[in-house]
Amino acid sequence: MSYAVELENISKSFGEVQAVKNVSLKIRKNEFFSLLGPSGCGKTTTLRIIAGLEFPDTGRVMLNGEDVTDLPTHKRNIGMVFQTLALFPHMNVYDNIAFGLRMRKVPEREIRQRVKEMLEIVRLEGFERRKINQLSGGQRQRVALARALIIKPAVLLLDEPLGALDLKIRQHMMVELKKIQKEVGTTFIYVTHDQTEAMVMSDRMAIMKDGVIQQIGSPHDVYMRPVNKFVALFIGDAINFIEGTYKDKGILSTDLGDLKVPQLEGYTGKTVILAIRPEKFFLEKNIPSDIDNVIEGRVIFSIFRGSFVEYRVELDNGQEMVIFQPYLVAGQKIYGDGSRIKIGWYRDSAVILSH
Amino acid sequence: MKITDLILKIYTVLFLAGIYLPIAILIFFSFNESRSKIVFTGFTLENYYSLLSNYAVWDSFYNSIWTAIVVTVVSVFLGIMISYGVTRYEFKGKNMLDILMLIPIIIPEIVEALTLLVFLIILGIRLSPYTVIIGHIAFDISFAYIVIKARMAGYDPQFEEAARTLGANEIQTFTKVTLPILMPGIVSAALIAFLQSYDDFIKTFFTRPPGFTTLPVYIWNMASRRGFALDLNALATFIVVISIVFAYVRLKVERW
Repeated sequence: MSYAVELENISKSFGEVQAVKNVSLKIRKNEFFSLLGPSGCGKTTTLRIIAGLEFPDTGRVMLNGEDVTDLPTHKRNIGMVFQTLALFPHMNVYDNIAFGLRMRKVPEREIRQRVKEMLEIVRLEGFERRKINQLSGGQRQRVALARALIIKPAVLLLDEPLGALDLKIRQHMMVELKKIQKEVGTTFIYVTHDQTEAMVMSDRMAIMKDGVIQQIGSPHDVYMRPVNKFVALFIGDAINFIEGTYKDKGILSTDLGDLKVPQLEGYTGKTVILAIRPEKFFLEKNIPSDIDNVIEGRVIFSIFRGSFVEYRVELDNGQEMVIFQPYLVAGQKIYGDGSRIKIGWYRDSAVILSH
Repeated sequence: MKITDLILKIYTVLFLAGIYLPIAILIFFSFNESRSKIVFTGFTLENYYSLLSNYAVWDSFYNSIWTAIVVTVVSVFLGIMISYGVTRYEFKGKNMLDILMLIPIIIPEIVEALTLLVFLIILGIRLSPYTVIIGHIAFDISFAYIVIKARMAGYDPQFEEAARTLGANEIQTFTKVTLPILMPGIVSAALIAFLQSYDDFIKTFFTRPPGFTTLPVYIWNMASRRGFALDLNALATFIVVISIVFAYVRLKVERW
């Protein structure tokens, strides 16, 4: 199988700071791939290395199986949507979108046709003559996208393009981006610090921290099976950790008693962390009869969040847990502050993380 | 509230009158028939005819224009280079350079002119139209620098990166993106540099060779020799009109 982008052992330093450490990645054709991580994790540098706007100290960059490590940006056939969008203020919408084709000496007649098609895809028909400063945030976003896509790039790189938009438009643009990606069938690499954006749009994502890739996987994988505490905390709204010593046969010895946990090889006797997502719990009467673990706690407070109720529960060892309960029936019971409740979960709903 | 409004209005009117009334009177009397500067006896264009038929006026006008053009081109070119360097790159002595670029504007022009003359004498350089041009550039470059730098400060380097990802090489990026975006600043800088040079008297007076006359110097010569004649009014009017046109163009360009 050939890949759209392959990075092999890429490292890059800026002075004393090592921004990217030995990063290797294989991104499939037509994939929506996200680079996710907090600011300063090296995701933007990685993207800029793919674009040729930075050159790696070591390692190789391949585009469609071809080594482009030393090729300058303008010869790479990549499209990029910048954080600031960088739409040319001295040109109208048409000239912005046509720019890449003009650089490629495409005949004006063909340019007209292709700009028209592109404007249909991003749904900006009739905006050709508009100046950039006459467009809304969302419209600018689409122009930037059209300008980058019209050159039929091997890969489209997006550097936090939705960052400047307000929540509603951002949610709308996420779905829109995903649709456009399916429609044009181009590989998208999307850099963001917002896990929601990555979860909503990505086929796969890489989570980075301090220049190192922590985990690569589908949204389902990274949510359900984070490889370490960092990923577990970074992805999802919240997560609960319980520390303990792994006994044989899927038993974890904790100060809450023995808990049934996933069965793993080679963990016997080790101190590990049990990670459980807040929506994986059953409370009181809703606890199924075949449940693996039941513990007790006291409700500190509850927050009504609409589609679910968030509880903060203090366990007997003093630890605080976050629990989400779906709010399914009108008038459903919400446990009051101070009430003691039973909490149950299945062993396979939890994940063991090494310390 | 009312009284402060009134005071503000009166103050504004007086202020503007203080600036523009003398100019208005000057223009008004340039159409005066008699040589009187107090009594307007009748409308005439005679002063303008005599001005246009005066060879010395044309000669000094020509000198003013060509020196101003050379000064403008050099100042703007250097202004672009220096402001590009200062806004884009980190280097030792950058703040120092920035301050040095501002000093020519702060120092009184007479001091600058005098030191320049002394400097030229020490170096044994004979005064020529080129020493005038050097003198003008030495402070016009500061104006060009300030104006272009201001424009560049608001200029996003990602414009250039965007152009490159779209397939533009370095030269195409500069000509199709960088230059057009900076153009309002460059035009503005050019107009200011031109006006500064074209208007300049002190520097020119100190650094010019004998016989080399620009318009301001010509006016000074005329005025000091035989008092303010009417064709001088006409000439001054001419200069004012050119300045106003330039200022207007600059205002338009700034709003791009």
